[in-house]
Amino acid sequence: MNVEITDLTRRFGRAVAVAGVSLQAGPGVFGLLGPNGAGKTTLLRTMATVITPTSGTVRLLDRDPAQYGPRREIRRRLGYLPQNLGYYPNFTVAEFVEYFALLKEVPSARVPRAVAAAIERVELGDRARSKLKSLSGGMLRRAGIAQAIVNEPQLLLLDEPTAGLDPEQRVSFRSLLRDLGTSATVVVSTHLVEDVGAACTEVMLMADGKLVFAGTPAELTAKGTDHGVGDAPLERGYSAALAEARS
Amino acid sequence: MTVGTAPIASAPIRPARSRTGLAAGRLLRLEFKRNAMIWLIPVAVGLFWFDCYRQSVAEPAMWNLRTMNMQGQALLDFVPSVVGAAAWMGSREARRGLTDLTGITARPRWFRQLAVWAATTGWALAAYAGCMAVLYGMTAHQAHWGGPLLWPATVAAVGLPALAAVGFAIGTAWPSRFTAPLAVVVVFFALGLSSQFARGSSSYFQVSPGLSGANDVGPDPSIATFYHYLPDLPIAQVMFLVGLTVAVLAAIGIPAGSGGQWLRRSAAILTACGLAAAGTAVYLTGTARLDVHGMIAIPALHDAASNRPIRYTPVCARTAIPVCLNPAYAAYLADVRTALAPALSELAGLPGAPASISQAATIFHQEQANQVLINGGNLRIVKGRGGRQSMALVLPDQLPGEPSSPVYTNDDFIVQIYELSPPLIDRVISGTRRRRLGVAALTGPDAEQAVIIGLVTAARTATLTRIIRQANMIQVAPDVPSSLAIISAGRPPGGQLPQVRLPAGVQAAAGRFAALPAATRHAWLVGHLSALRAGRITLAQLP
Repeated sequence: MNVEITDLTRRFGRAVAVAGVSLQAGPGVFGLLGPNGAGKTTLLRTMATVITPTSGTVRLLDRDPAQYGPRREIRRRLGYLPQNLGYYPNFTVAEFVEYFALLKEVPSARVPRAVAAAIERVELGDRARSKLKSLSGGMLRRAGIAQAIVNEPQLLLLDEPTAGLDPEQRVSFRSLLRDLGTSATVVVSTHLVEDVGAACTEVMLMADGKLVFAGTPAELTAKGTDHGVGDAPLERGYSAALAEARS
Repeated sequence: MTVGTAPIASAPIRPARSRTGLAAGRLLRLEFKRNAMIWLIPVAVGLFWFDCYRQSVAEPAMWNLRTMNMQGQALLDFVPSVVGAAAWMGSREARRGLTDLTGITARPRWFRQLAVWAATTGWALAAYAGCMAVLYGMTAHQAHWGGPLLWPATVAAVGLPALAAVGFAIGTAWPSRFTAPLAVVVVFFALGLSSQFARGSSSYFQVSPGLSGANDVGPDPSIATFYHYLPDLPIAQVMFLVGLTVAVLAAIGIPAGSGGQWLRRSAAILTACGLAAAGTAVYLTGTARLDVHGMIAIPALHDAASNRPIRYTPVCARTAIPVCLNPAYAAYLADVRTALAPALSELAGLPGAPASISQAATIFHQEQANQVLINGGNLRIVKGRGGRQSMALVLPDQLPGEPSSPVYTNDDFIVQIYELSPPLIDRVISGTRRRRLGVAALTGPDAEQAVIIGLVTAARTATLTRIIRQANMIQVAPDVPSSLAIISAGRPPGGQLPQVRLPAGVQAAAGRFAALPAATRHAWLVGHLSALRAGRITLAQLP
């Protein structure tokens, strides 16, 4: 298993952001759905080794991230796109991606090819030499995705990756996700249920820090039959599952 | 709740070891390319030109004056850009919201922080090297003799990484857009004031890189001209700066998250080593003393070989009694000749007249607190080769062109040298055996006094008279220079010059003697000097 989480709890002061979540995940694309404040970002940051759990155990890529050596090994194989992407405005797209390739310890000889490949995969090849400050929000998001995948991660964590992308790019991005999911574990936190339906093999739904649903998109859709609100079947399944959890 | 998945074959973990050196090179290239210091180089160069360069080239074209003046000035001029850029770069990750993203990369945080610091320092050193090349090139073009003093330039060069380290650490610890300007202000005043706290030659504050020598002496033309520049203080300063740099940079690697346990332990050990080196340097400067040649000697770092005088071929004026100067002072040989040649023409060949006059080094002596006694602007007797009497000329410790208020001109310099003529004439005519001139008295017989005053008057050529009038030389009586007045009355307390009233007979005889043709005067002196000294000649017998 690439991800093995057991009874994970994370508190910030008195607030409990994640409460007793357990999950296991191998290769595939996992959609993480939930309303604002459900704990999705906290769960993702914990999996990304940004923060440590208050209690519970986490094993990533068969290693314990609590120890420095294994954590470093995990980080070599980890890709992460945070919700708010920070960037150095004077770096070009290629420099930004190269910077992270070097920090992720991609073998030096492979860096130029890895950088070019990552930039091509997010369709920014023609803007590789543009400074980040000159890019639109959607292009910046793609540059962020490029840095996340430059090391060909075995665990890819994406927080709102399609925010700011136009429909054409989103379609292309879903294709990329499916491609990546064949060999790696990809966890996508999103508000856009259509992304989940189109690209994810599994769906997890969080509410109030807890995992309230886990299954395939088809199973979530089935929950919405005759229940829930929404325009699309998956949206109805989402609202029905949430209502069930809250009741 | 548990999410189950289809059984997945455990993905093989590919070996991800990269060659750290190559990666570091690539990272450095990126940091060099996108470093804030690049934008601040014009600021650094502009400040250097406005402050340090203009002041240094305004100094006389002597390597020691210019390079010693440069050390502290250059560092202060580079503070705003180096500390500002380093603090800005240190706070970059937090300001740009990249801490999450960079914090989860495999390379230790320390690694990328050192890369940022190294790039900032690299640009600063490149700018500094360019500035030094211009200043040293200009000095090499203008200076008559000698070569660059490398230690002041080295101390300033080692100071830049230390400044960058301090700025970077401040930026890392308090990341904010206001950190950089605040860090600049703090470091600027800390560096500027650190040298002001130095009291005496054993002050711990001498470790400040703002000082290139004894605080109470500063750059002096005599220092490192006759004797080698003592590297004692610069060594201590370099030790302090390297220690500070290592300690500050290593301390950044201690907090959790900087790297693994091994790395953090290494950082802690390095911090301790850096602090120990800096502390040792501070302690050593506390044991320093001012040596007689105006430089700071630290016993534990002192190499006796440094005490040997520098060999040089003097430049000499073709005067009746040859006057030779250190070649570094070649530009002042004409002024010295103007001031002394007339008196030397009168005295050449007389019993007791020196065979030659050679320049000697200024003697420095540390007094209480910040006071230093500088023995400059005098003549003294030394024994030359074969027992022949020679004289040592110590030029004033200030040279024309050195910044001062009021401005010290070449005429002022000539007048100051000319003031050595009366004591010299007094010594030769009266035949006193005092080694140091300037304290003899016009206490001999009237005829002797008249001859001395007559010679002093005769030694004042039309050129000298013009210069003396222009320079407003203090005179206590017509045609009696102040040095002669001091001779006659002794140096009074409070520095007030006494009024000298010469007897009418003496003054008249002196005027008559001065009016004689030089050859007649000289021939008479050769024949009658012994009798004059013995008091067997009266005023009436003077020609």
